[in-house]
Amino acid sequence: MGLSGGAAVTLTGSTRHRLHEALRRAGGTTRAGSPLTHVPPPVASPFGSASYVEGEAIRAIDVGGSAPPPEGAAFLDGIQRYAVEGRFGLVPVVRGHVAAATMRRDGDRLSVADHQSEELIVVPLERLTPDQRQALADTGVPLVDCEVGERAHPIVDVQLAARAVERRREELETAVASALLASEPECWLVVDGALGGLAHMLDAGPRVLGLIKSHETQFLDGPDLEIAVTLQEGHRSSVFARRLGKRGQVYTWYLRLWPWEEHELLHGLVRIERPATEAALTEATAVSRWLLAERAPLSAPDGRWDRLLYPIRQVEMFLRAQAGGWW
Amino acid sequence: MTIGRVVATEALPAGPHQFHFWTATDTSLGIGAIVRVDAEDGRTVYAVVVDGRAYSDVATPLHEVVAAEGDPAGAPAPTRRTEVRLWTAAVLRHEPEEPVQPVPLAQVRLATQEDVEMALRMDGYVRGEQPTGIPVGVYRAGGLTAPVSLDAEFLLGPESAHFNISGVSGLATKTSAAEFMLASIFQRLPSHKGSVAAVCFNVKGPDLCFLDQPGELTEGDRELYSVLDVEPRPFDRVQYFAPFKPDGVNLNTLRSHPDLVGSVQPLVWGLREVLNYHEVLLNRDDIDAKADAFLDFLADRVVEKEFRDDWGGTHRVRSFGELERLFRGIFDGLEQAGRSDVWRTHHIATIRKVRNRLINISTRCKGLVTDDGSVNDLPFGAFEDRAVYVLDVSGMDQLGQDLVFTRVVSMLREHLERGDLGVEHVVVFVDELNKYAPADGPDTYVRKMLLDISERGRYLGLVLFAAQQFRSQVHRRIAGNAGTVVFGRMDMDELATPGYQVLSPATKIKLATLPKGELMVRHPHFTQPVFVRFPRPAVMSGPAGVRQYPPAADVPFEDAVVRQLAALDRRVSPARIKDSIAGRREEDVRRALLATKRARPEDVMGFFTASLGRAVAREQVRPEGSATTPLRQVEDPYAT
Repeated sequence: MGLSGGAAVTLTGSTRHRLHEALRRAGGTTRAGSPLTHVPPPVASPFGSASYVEGEAIRAIDVGGSAPPPEGAAFLDGIQRYAVEGRFGLVPVVRGHVAAATMRRDGDRLSVADHQSEELIVVPLERLTPDQRQALADTGVPLVDCEVGERAHPIVDVQLAARAVERRREELETAVASALLASEPECWLVVDGALGGLAHMLDAGPRVLGLIKSHETQFLDGPDLEIAVTLQEGHRSSVFARRLGKRGQVYTWYLRLWPWEEHELLHGLVRIERPATEAALTEATAVSRWLLAERAPLSAPDGRWDRLLYPIRQVEMFLRAQAGGWW
Repeated sequence: MTIGRVVATEALPAGPHQFHFWTATDTSLGIGAIVRVDAEDGRTVYAVVVDGRAYSDVATPLHEVVAAEGDPAGAPAPTRRTEVRLWTAAVLRHEPEEPVQPVPLAQVRLATQEDVEMALRMDGYVRGEQPTGIPVGVYRAGGLTAPVSLDAEFLLGPESAHFNISGVSGLATKTSAAEFMLASIFQRLPSHKGSVAAVCFNVKGPDLCFLDQPGELTEGDRELYSVLDVEPRPFDRVQYFAPFKPDGVNLNTLRSHPDLVGSVQPLVWGLREVLNYHEVLLNRDDIDAKADAFLDFLADRVVEKEFRDDWGGTHRVRSFGELERLFRGIFDGLEQAGRSDVWRTHHIATIRKVRNRLINISTRCKGLVTDDGSVNDLPFGAFEDRAVYVLDVSGMDQLGQDLVFTRVVSMLREHLERGDLGVEHVVVFVDELNKYAPADGPDTYVRKMLLDISERGRYLGLVLFAAQQFRSQVHRRIAGNAGTVVFGRMDMDELATPGYQVLSPATKIKLATLPKGELMVRHPHFTQPVFVRFPRPAVMSGPAGVRQYPPAADVPFEDAVVRQLAALDRRVSPARIKDSIAGRREEDVRRALLATKRARPEDVMGFFTASLGRAVAREQVRPEGSATTPLRQVEDPYAT
């Protein structure tokens, strides 16, 4: 080993060591950091509003370990893909694929309960000529209109089209969820993501759970936030309510699935949403214990294994396999 | 019924000879099952499953440990991991045969009975105007039971021939498989293929001693017989041959129970029968060019000819006893004449060596080889169609077994070459082939002869059915020339030898754990080995036979003669037999007994008495007067 290389390694290690020592001395926490190079993109909605439901402040509650899941549970997920297939001038023509599925668990086996998929063309129709619209309509693929910005922008226009694809995916998710709950109203349904996108599902029944893995939007502040995001393994936060704008509110709480020490702060942390009913409040601990049991099987090697439930991953894999090499 | 789908990736592509497919986890499929794949363009591929794997989506065992928090006894995970059953299949047949292309990525179905016929190319020989199918067993998979047949053209010749069975002792059912195949051939060989007989060498225990007795069959066995269209019955034409024990009168066989011993004929050979196969009895060190020349001289000029020695003596050598007299004459003549050590260009040392070896043979093979020239042999020239000839040599030493095996097979070959054996095909069954044709060791006469049969027998109709524990220990060309090869339960060490490299690991595991009654078959029409189940042979097994018909104990000479004659005719009086042989020379009695057993006359006692001839009264020679005076008795103080 060359002198300079060895010296560099030693200095880097030494710096990290000194920094960790300083953090610990001053009451901080340390983790095995990994080097990053890019500045993360800005969070679109970093903050939201919330109100206390369970007590007058957020507190950590030990749920008492895991418990067997309820008989009859289903899991929902959706996927979307899109590609800019061409342009009329600056106007992007986006081809999209959306799909959603529910898988029911009988005993310990998962099977597909419902599956819907769709291919669509997304384009700002108002910017097309009648001939151009007709040409796209002649493909036989459903045409979906999308928003347009005040000024044409090669990138922003694509983002707006992508949002239209995302909306269609949410519609499909709502459709498969409705189909399942209509046939089996007593069945628990665990949805990948927030219930906000499935707004009208809030009235479908109390046994719908949204499982949020990303924590871009924070609804708590100050000590409440610190308590929520530093929960110990097997602990949940007290239940609080978050507003959905004009669509009402949902009850929600945090749950730590895996210990975060020596990891990032949000490691193993999920947030659970349920329609705002009394049951959501009284069953928060029981539901948390069930979700702790869902840590096995591990959904590794998926990078989100600390927050991704295995059945949800299976739904996602099923949808990806169905889509195949969509292009 | 669709059970799977072909899957192909860059790492596991589908080729023209092998492909992979997946099934549900609760499939009834197993190693050895035959499947078919139908392409959209009308092509059909038949294949046999040779390997299977199951795995889940867990990337590393550590993930399971983490998920269970290190406690294997903890609560089971609420969701079962996704599993896959991935199978590897080896292609048996493409239909149409050309062009040969990779297997299509299509649905996989379990084979039907018609599919099994097509897959194994049996459609070419089990149907039509002149079918040549010989049932070997049933294929069973996924609820299907279908008969599997071999092609007689490739089993008995002339296209290919021979049947080789490998497997560990006791579990591989080698003898049972051979017995069932013989029954199948006897019953199903079509008339246009000609006549067939079998010669079986019983080399150990009572294995083949009860082929004419019915054995116990289960209901499952009878079902298999029904599927195979073979009648479950013992062989109705069996002739047993066994040498005598050294006493020359008790038969050296475990089939010596009074109820059965009558059907056992003694196998007795004389000088001529042995001299032609002296290579078997004399080892390499014994035979040099000089000794060989002298043996040829004896065979050509002396044996069974009027021969005059150089001292006025005339000899007609038909037995070892007469041969010994000739040698004595030569040695005495040379000694008295005081001439050189050479007699008729042969050195006396060579003559002595050959004499010692030959005369000793009658001692080493006592019971088989007689001094007196009487002979009882297989009915060469009068072999019967669908008859089994069992030679029980289990009680003989290796040398005697080699002699019997070599001479009998050589005689069969000679008669088949001349077309005067009596049948057109002969199946020769021999167990422990590795003993007679070892892969290494000296190049013996027996091995050379077996090699010759394995390479030329198919043209003659001389078919070798051979069994051994370890195929790798059999001469490579002899094992390789077997057109049909079957394997029972195999030893893992044997499976690790190079000869089994073509088998998949799963197939090897299956072979190492194969239950009794199951075999893996390789046949020229089958492009891949196929597993079949065969019924127990409908004949009494050796151990069961010994239980039901315990071998009789050896008895004194007179009683043995009585027992053997009584076995031919129960009406004969033991007292009368004993009276008739009282005071007669044993060799005369043996000769008469042999003649009687060979002739099997209506009047056994009359024939036996006639064969004995008139008794020549023994003359008591009395000393005429006393030539010496008895010693006077004196008291010996040292006597005790």
